[in-house]
Parts: sequence; structure tokens; C-alpha cells
Amino acid sequence: MTEPGANTAAEEPIPDIPTRIRTGLSAGLETSLKIIKVSVPLYVAVTLLKGTPFLDLLGEVFAPVMGIFGLPGEAAFAFVAAFLLNLYAAIAVIVPLHLTPFQVTQCGLMMGVAHNLVVEGGVLSTTGARGGVLTLCRIVIACAAGLLLRGLWGLWETAASWAAAPPGPW
Amino acid sequence: MDLLLPALLGSLKLSAKLILIIVPLVTLFEVLRYLPVFRRAGNVVEPMMRGVGLTRDAAIPLFTGIFLGIAYGAGIIIRVAQQKGLPARELFLMGLFLATCHSVIEDILIFVVIGGNGPAILGVRLGLAVFLTGLMARVWKPA
Repeated sequence: MTEPGANTAAEEPIPDIPTRIRTGLSAGLETSLKIIKVSVPLYVAVTLLKGTPFLDLLGEVFAPVMGIFGLPGEAAFAFVAAFLLNLYAAIAVIVPLHLTPFQVTQCGLMMGVAHNLVVEGGVLSTTGARGGVLTLCRIVIACAAGLLLRGLWGLWETAASWAAAPPGPW
Repeated sequence: MDLLLPALLGSLKLSAKLILIIVPLVTLFEVLRYLPVFRRAGNVVEPMMRGVGLTRDAAIPLFTGIFLGIAYGAGIIIRVAQQKGLPARELFLMGLFLATCHSVIEDILIFVVIGGNGPAILGVRLGLAVFLTGLMARVWKPA
């Protein structure tokens, strides 16, 4: 999303409610256009590539790494989309892959930490913090979060099966 | 062709779902964000922020980042960080917290829409952010 509120300092005069609604709607509309522009082509591309040797090969190559986090190899493609572009791009890749609820949650967690690295790395460095270091940190934290969730989810499912309740969301 | 049409339809359906989440969310946020409640929230969260090594000066950029995201809140984050002259230690701690936990509402909702578990995502991100920032605040002592 981009910056309708970005130029508003905390001390600036407060706009009236109709103005705020307009600001919100136009920001939402702008984001919507961006969503369509990125998700339609990616979603179609992944749907068409699914079942072709290309995506299978990509999946096999990345299966060992993705497997650490309980994800299939093809999910690597979604991570590329998330790192370089944004979460909407990643979602457009994830949906046609038909992942399990755990895998969708895992993607949401890891990509929530590490996405849009190019743009946000730039923003973070302008605050005076070191952008490169923080970007590296985000990738490391995303991996840590992924391992943590995999462990917790496993525990939860074990506990749930002991309680003879259907395994499922918290 | 047999594949293309369903693919196109599927992609449009997904876009529509995401848009239905985003537009009301952004609009609601614009309407609510000037409420005095949010300005006074600093008092409530101050003790919690001290636990992760941050002072009140970091409250506005921190919460802008947590709720709005880094790219969307960039203007506010940069301006306040410079105006208040946040020290390097606080900038680092704030950056670490936000790296782990930012834009929580939007990012989590869009994954819930496609079948993810929201509380699980939020819980792990928030817990990890508090743990890591709290840990680093104790490693890097204030000057």
C-alpha cells in the first residue's frame, strides 16, 4: 500500500469526516488496482504452469529447504514473489497451489515477517537504522518464526488428538 | 483455453476478495485514526514499551508500523524518528520489533481469507517480536 497518510504529521490539522472517507476510499482504490495488476497475471501463470515439468522441477529443487518448514517445494515460488514484490503477489501464487491450512498459515507468518524487502529495506534505512542488516534480520526471523510455528502446530495437533477433539485452528 | 478461462476467473475472484477486505479497512482506518483515544494510548502502552527498551517518543512510529505497515506508514515513521531525534539504540530496537511484527491487521486478514489461521500468525509474530526486542534491549544497555 502507498502513502495517503504518509505526509500527515501528528500535529497537522484534522480533516473532516467526508475528507477522511474520500482519502480512505481513494487509497483503497489505488491498492485495489495494484492488487489486480499483480495477482491476475501471477495467478494465471501459476495455474497454467502447474503440472508442467517446469513447476515440478522447481518444486523438487526447493523441496529440501521448504520441507524444513513443512512446506512443499513449489512454495518457493511464492516466497520469491513475497520477497521481491508483496503479499498480494505471494497470495496469487499460493491459492492455485492448493496448500493445506497449516501451510497457508505458515506462508502467512513467514512472509508477513519478510516481504517487499527492496522497498521496505529502503524505508528502514532512511530512519537511520541500517537497512541491509535489518533485511537480513527479517529473513532470519522469518525462518525462526517458521520453525516455531511448525513445532507449536505439531504440539497443538498432538494435544488435540489426545483430547479426542478434531485437530484444527486455535 | 480450457485452463485459461477458469484461471482468469479464479484470479478475478481472488482479487475481488482481497479488495473487499482492503477498501473498507483502509477507509475505516482513515476515519478512526484521528480519534483522541489513539493519541492518549501512549499512556497505556508506556510500561509495556519500557519492557522492550523503548520510550514514549517511539510510540507513534511504533504503532503506526504495527498497524499500518512499514511502507504505508513510512512518512510518519521517518518524520517522527527525525523530529524526536531517537537515539540509535531505540531506532534499532524499534526496527527489530517492526521487522517481526508490522501491518498486522491487513497482512493477517488477507491470509485468513485464503484459509490461514489468524490467531496463530498474530500470536507467533507478537510473541517473537516482544521476545527478540526485549532480549536485545538487555544485551545493548542504554548509554
